[in-house]
Amino acid sequence: MDALIVIFITALIGLFVGMMKKPNLTLFLSIIGLSAAFVLMSYYGKYNSLFNNFEGLAFDSFHWLFAELVIGLTLLIIVGGFHYFKKDVEHTADYYGLILFSLCGALVLIGSENFFMFFLGIEIMSIPVYVLVGIKKQNILSSEASIKYFFTGSFATAILLFGVALVYGATGTFDFSELSSLFDSNSPMAIVGILFVFAALLFKIGSVPFHFWSPDVYEGSPDPVTAFMATVVKVAGLTSIVSLFAYTFGAATDVLLPIFYVVTIGSLFLGYLSALKQTNFRRLMAYSGISNTGFAMLTLLSGNFITLWVFLLGYTAATVGLLIISQILEKSNSDEIVNWKGIGYKNPFLGVVILISFLSLAGIPPFTGFFAKLLLLINTYQSNPVLVYLTLITSVIGAFLYIRFILNAFAKDSNAEKITIHPLHILVLSVCSLVVLSGWTLILF
Amino acid sequence: MTTNLNNIGTSLDFFVVVAIALFVIGAFGVLTRKNMIVLLMCIELMLNSVNLLLVTFSKYHGAADPQVFVFFIVVVAAAEATVGLSILIMAYRNRKSIDIELFNKLKD
Repeated sequence: MDALIVIFITALIGLFVGMMKKPNLTLFLSIIGLSAAFVLMSYYGKYNSLFNNFEGLAFDSFHWLFAELVIGLTLLIIVGGFHYFKKDVEHTADYYGLILFSLCGALVLIGSENFFMFFLGIEIMSIPVYVLVGIKKQNILSSEASIKYFFTGSFATAILLFGVALVYGATGTFDFSELSSLFDSNSPMAIVGILFVFAALLFKIGSVPFHFWSPDVYEGSPDPVTAFMATVVKVAGLTSIVSLFAYTFGAATDVLLPIFYVVTIGSLFLGYLSALKQTNFRRLMAYSGISNTGFAMLTLLSGNFITLWVFLLGYTAATVGLLIISQILEKSNSDEIVNWKGIGYKNPFLGVVILISFLSLAGIPPFTGFFAKLLLLINTYQSNPVLVYLTLITSVIGAFLYIRFILNAFAKDSNAEKITIHPLHILVLSVCSLVVLSGWTLILF
Repeated sequence: MTTNLNNIGTSLDFFVVVAIALFVIGAFGVLTRKNMIVLLMCIELMLNSVNLLLVTFSKYHGAADPQVFVFFIVVVAAAEATVGLSILIMAYRNRKSIDIELFNKLKD
């Protein structure tokens, strides 16, 4: 709760400070606010809130870990994207304000304990992102991406609300802990209701069969915003999906499980197979994100939050690092994969980050991605061996995809240019690589 | 679900069916229409059908929670319409049209 208040106030002050047109000051303020929120959230996780407990919002057991993850990711994104945001001095504060408001929504969604907070969290998280996607006002692709995201997103919201109404009609409560005991899996209305709720959530995280918007939207939006959508929004959505599936609607597992098998396998295969033929980097990352949601949804079977957390840590750190590099490389609004040829060869630092991030995404030891996938598959193997074999097949396709990209980045190409990297970028990329390298040690604690 | 609502004399089913019908009309509109303002209106229709459904269930369960939820939905729908109309104006400036089928530059 305290962290939420701090972030909200930071965003408000940031918007006012923005009128002075001093980007450095806005960045400084946001970093202070987010760091304070990070510390407060750890305090909350260890002891308790400084305030009395708030109705319907609690960061108990593992939820505070996810809250820490999204706050940390936002910190990386606002620092890494500073170079981009600064270009438009008039609107620098708008980026920061919108990103922080969206983060508030993600925190509300993660900590939600009833459908009121759940719905408000999703909306507070989504509405600023609709604006952020279309923030390049003169760019036709950006406005197209914004339109697509807005209309599909509000459609999903309507579906979600319809589902919530049906679940309420069948059970008579909005509270998650009451729902877990009152839920009756024989009531058709309740089943249809939760299917609608999960459909909307799957849409928000961009999973099969509701993934169609994500490549288009990622391609059209600025790189830091893409990084935000691919990490913070996904983490918040996946956390609430897993906690809803494994705990709140535990009674309906028999009905939901076959659907989730299809969703998981579909995401894994479609994501990697479509990624093979992409020429645009952000589309590639979108499809890679679709597959990774498939991986993350394997935790639905065990409801093991620690595994999910480590997996998301590896995936998000690698994704943020790569999208920040994409932003460094971006010239004349082109983000084709061809631009990456020889980058790693000419710029050893970027090369190392690319190598580490992609190897972690591909699941090659000793990076975080490998250990997280290992834990996921061990947990899944006990209940469903077939799913594990299918997952391994897709992992091979994924590894081929990522290694092909690494070879492209390290090709000897004399046309590749030597890029001077901003110190803030070096800082963010080092933190991302460090997390990817050593994040798995957190399993031991 | 056959309980009659007191002092109205209409069965609960009627309201549920009307709400579902409104929702389906809205969803159909979103999927088929091309003008973006009509799309926004269809989404509002879907949200309002949910409001009707929630109020019906509020009466059925004899609880006030869903009526509070309705206010949340109304507020969020207003915020969404604001953002949606701004996005629409931005798109119109770039393309001089609000036909959604013209926005098809992003694809595989």
